[in-house]
Amino acid sequence: MTLPGAGLRVAVHSLLGPLGEARVVRFTFDGLEYQGLEGEPIAAALAAAGIRVIRHSERFGRPRGVFCAIGHCYECRVTVNGERNVRSCLTPLREGMVVQSQEPIGPGGPLEEPPHEG
Amino acid sequence: MDSPDLGKGRPDSTVICRCEEITLAEIMEAISRGARTLDAVKRQTRAGMGMCQGRTCHQAIVRLLAAAGRGPEQAGRPSIRPPVRPVLLEALDGGEGASTE
Repeated sequence: MTLPGAGLRVAVHSLLGPLGEARVVRFTFDGLEYQGLEGEPIAAALAAAGIRVIRHSERFGRPRGVFCAIGHCYECRVTVNGERNVRSCLTPLREGMVVQSQEPIGPGGPLEEPPHEG
Repeated sequence: MDSPDLGKGRPDSTVICRCEEITLAEIMEAISRGARTLDAVKRQTRAGMGMCQGRTCHQAIVRLLAAAGRGPEQAGRPSIRPPVRPVLLEALDGGEGASTE
């Protein structure tokens, strides 16, 4: 089995054991096709595909990705098969999922210029 | 546990509330204008009103209030109302979204 993003995955976890057998499935993120393991969190599949920026923030347009990874902060939210505000860190990957970066509703672009680094 | 540096450093670029993108400088300004409880800071700045409903930032704001002389009891707890997680309005209506989570 060719494991997508093999070098980025923990093959043997010290507590959880070996990764085990999982079916490789295809999904898209913003129109590009990727592969991941069925049942792993969408965020894990994105990370293994080298995608760290999942969306941009509303106010300052800053890059956002996985922050808490336990479904608590909503920073990794995406649109999945048309449903908005899906937490990619908790939602299992399935074959053929259409995942989209969730940009703000309404006129595009950040609302404000970010404050300069002090 | 104690973080004496909280409140120093880069107040304009340190984001306290990630959801509403409220900076440390904005929280400190609200406190300097007289906000003394979590809810007062929330109403002045929007910190804690975003997708995560303050799960990430409230501890930091309690600490900032403490630095301004308010203990955790005085800083109060945020108003918590159902639903606990953001849900679609149609879920509350018993519609299709009701079964998604």
